[in-house]
Amino acid sequence: MNKLILAAGALILAAAPAFAHVTLDKGEAPVGSTYKAVFRVPHGCEGLATNVVRVRIPEGVIAVKPMPKPGWTLEKIKGKYAKTYDYHGTPTGEGMQEIVWKGGNLGDDEYDEFILRGYITPDLAVGSTLYFPVVQECGADKAERWIEIPAEGQTSDDLELPAPGVKLIEKTGGH
Amino acid sequence: MIRRLVHLARLVPLVLLALTMQVAAASAHASLTGSEPADGTVVAAAPEAYSLTFSEPVSPLSLRLVGPNGGAVELDRFDLVDRTLRIAAPAGIGRGTHVLSWRVVSEDGHPVGGALVFSIGAPSEGVPQVADGSDRGVQAGLWLCKIALFLGLFAGCGGVFARRVLMPGIVSGRGFVAAMLLLGAAGTVLSIGFQGRDALGAGHLGDIAVWSAGLATSYGRTVAAALVAFALAGTALRLTGRAATAAASAVLLLAGLAPALSGHASAAAPQVLMRPAVFLHAAGIAVWIGALVPLGLALSRGEAGAAAALRRFSRAIAPMVAVLVLAGIALAVVQVGQPGALLDTAYGQVFLVKLALLAVLFLLAAMNRWGLTAKAEAGDPAATRRLARSIAAESLIVLLVFGAAATWRFTPPPRVLTAAAAVPATVHIHSDKAMAEIVVTPGRAGPVSVTATLLTHAFEPMEAKGVSFVFSNPAAGIEPFKRQAERQADGTWRSGDVVLPLAGEWSLRVDVLVSDFEILRLTGTLAVRP
Repeated sequence: MNKLILAAGALILAAAPAFAHVTLDKGEAPVGSTYKAVFRVPHGCEGLATNVVRVRIPEGVIAVKPMPKPGWTLEKIKGKYAKTYDYHGTPTGEGMQEIVWKGGNLGDDEYDEFILRGYITPDLAVGSTLYFPVVQECGADKAERWIEIPAEGQTSDDLELPAPGVKLIEKTGGH
Repeated sequence: MIRRLVHLARLVPLVLLALTMQVAAASAHASLTGSEPADGTVVAAAPEAYSLTFSEPVSPLSLRLVGPNGGAVELDRFDLVDRTLRIAAPAGIGRGTHVLSWRVVSEDGHPVGGALVFSIGAPSEGVPQVADGSDRGVQAGLWLCKIALFLGLFAGCGGVFARRVLMPGIVSGRGFVAAMLLLGAAGTVLSIGFQGRDALGAGHLGDIAVWSAGLATSYGRTVAAALVAFALAGTALRLTGRAATAAASAVLLLAGLAPALSGHASAAAPQVLMRPAVFLHAAGIAVWIGALVPLGLALSRGEAGAAAALRRFSRAIAPMVAVLVLAGIALAVVQVGQPGALLDTAYGQVFLVKLALLAVLFLLAAMNRWGLTAKAEAGDPAATRRLARSIAAESLIVLLVFGAAATWRFTPPPRVLTAAAAVPATVHIHSDKAMAEIVVTPGRAGPVSVTATLLTHAFEPMEAKGVSFVFSNPAAGIEPFKRQAERQADGTWRSGDVVLPLAGEWSLRVDVLVSDFEILRLTGTLAVRP
């Protein structure tokens, strides 16, 4: 019987898509438009509840606005961008670079979503994948870090701690 | 065939289950949240079962237990209860360090692997070994040459000293001493080739490179001193009067010097003690052993000067033997180090054999000295014959002692083994962003401490938020296990609670958390000695 379970396990492995960990709910986003990023957090750190969720805003994503969550305190870390972007005619050289939801208590057996929106500048290349590194902190010294970005020739599946990503596509239709 | 069909039929529901699970797959992966025994622990007795608890339900793909000798057992008796995998332990699990290597697949279809290192009783430690790559023929050659060298130095050079200085009246034994000198010279010359062959680990005796390699080792100094001693001794055999006495004394000094110029004992610290001790030990042997055969021959042939020679010998020999024994004790204490090494190491075992032979030798010598010498000196023919026979027996035992001592050439003393065992294993891992110098101490299977020094690619010290070491051994089927490092005051990162259960090639990954959002993974391989 156990051998069969092993076989079935192998089958699941062979057939099922490998979902990542903290993920974005939409797989694609058009450049030159505002994108609503929904971060799905499916579990805590090795059984512990998540208290802090930090999201690093990648370069090229500007005018970020996080969505407040009841029970969590928002922290917005601002800084200078690498260059000045054009945001609907307004030159924009600084803004939020990291969003932190903290003070919450998301059990290991619970699920939640963390939302922000931002403008994906047309400076970002269509066809590339935009990664939002995420850190889950559980208590004082435990953390799960979904921060690895695939190197050339790798995919997120090759990584132990893949950062959630979204594929950039051509903008369709008018604004 | 029917049985196979039944088997397939049984599989169908599981496949369906698998497909259903695939559809229902949630985006999550399993992580190990607990285990019994806990990772990295030492348990008193072999557990009857193991358990692995995951953050969510899993199906095992592969479960194996790798034992201290590297042998793996597939664990196929297990139960899944909720999120816990209970695994029955195989029978007959012995002491030492074991690795439970697991690979499971969770709901999301993501395979996760890991390993649990635990020790029963105590972590296993490899038996220290020093690699011995030379072949039997070379070893036999070296051994025989070493015995020839001993015979040349002690029976040959010592014999010249005996005939010219200690017991100048003796006529017998000239041929024997000359033969020993020739044998010693031949063995010494030949040993250069074997020594070179051993040092290079390749080539054959017809190759000039082998011979120059032999001379290039520290053994070359011993060869030079021994050959000068043999030549001078040969000359001294022909000289007479004061020239002969002076030459024979110089021969004795050279015979003591030659062994002190190379070898295990002479290489040991403190050199100020060890080299003189080797010298005194060797010179003492030469005086004693050199006299045996000429004296025995003189006694058995009933030479006129035999009684006088015996008197001189028995008066001089006690202090000589005392020096020789004291020097020998000093050498043994340094070389063997701990009493336990007498039984545990080949060197110690050889020492015990030698000691047993010496006990017989000293017993015979004492019987001769206090039982027969006085009677023989007084001219008692029966006592003289018995003494001659006893001396012949002593000579044979001496040959055995030489044989035992010559095997030390192949057995590193415990002192060296202890030092060799402590030698760390190191690996330098390099990436375009950083480099890590990893030192694993000691560099052998068993409990080790791992230290990493991190540098940027510009060779500047690198700051990190956290470092962990991930070990795996794909060849032995051991999935990765992770150990957290702690930052030390000197800026290095250290993990002291690592047990590497097996010798061999280990994959080592150093995870360096550079900042909250940046992790570097440096991978390399580490050679772990048994």
